Amino acid sequence: MEIIEENHGGINIFKLNGRLDSNTSQGFEKKIFQAIDDGSKNMIIDFKDLDYISSAGLRVILKATKALKREEGKMMLCDMQDYVKEVFEIAGFDSFLPIVNSRDDALQRF
Amino acid sequence: MGKNKITFKLKNKLSELDTLCQKLEGFGESIGLSPKFIFETNLALDELFTNIISYGYNDKKVHLITVNISLQDNELLFSIEDDGIPFNPTEVDEPDLGCTIEECKIGGLGIHLAKNLMDEVCYQRCKDKNILTLKKNIAEPQPAKKRVKG
Repeated sequence: MEIIEENHGGINIFKLNGRLDSNTSQGFEKKIFQAIDDGSKNMIIDFKDLDYISSAGLRVILKATKALKREEGKMMLCDMQDYVKEVFEIAGFDSFLPIVNSRDDALQRF
Repeated sequence: MGKNKITFKLKNKLSELDTLCQKLEGFGESIGLSPKFIFETNLALDELFTNIISYGYNDKKVHLITVNISLQDNELLFSIEDDGIPFNPTEVDEPDLGCTIEECKIGGLGIHLAKNLMDEVCYQRCKDKNILTLKKNIAEPQPAKKRVKG
């Protein structure tokens, strides 16, 4: 999996490309928590090019969302393919994670 | 109809998730399975396989997990066999899906996903092996399925 990091006016954007499973989730966790350690409070995860997610990926997103909440920050998730979104729905994560259609929508929420 | 069946073995290593994906995509495409069904099947098998290799073995040895998939009429049948410690994933408590983010626990989520993506998940212990058998109806169009929550 490839992770492209961008910064947009103080908001960290992680664009995921490929497959987020228990094989790749540790690398993602490391990157996201490095950013939190470096003081990042607001993040967007862009799912446009993510083909696959398993519970290992959900676990990292949940953990990071909780960490950001403690820092009074926020995480937005955007541009998911339908079947990736379905995984969030089956897990019940869509009830407390903000999922929006596009990156622009996500940026407007900060 | 030999091509309606596939059997392969995976080592108890997370990197084998890529092999699982390749085998499923190859088989799925050969029988004309939609990308959505390939995705759902991949996810269910991934979760069960990841569970086996994370919790199934107390030693550091290499173990082989056997996966069988066959298509009968409009139903995909799967079996996953491992020689790990006895473990019945169908008895794992369901996660509390109505919780807030603070209360949300991740345990049991993988198995919850697998159960929701398959129509049937059964477990048996037989001759020192754990055997999971799964079924998924792939008749198109897929009937609107109400998600089981809670």
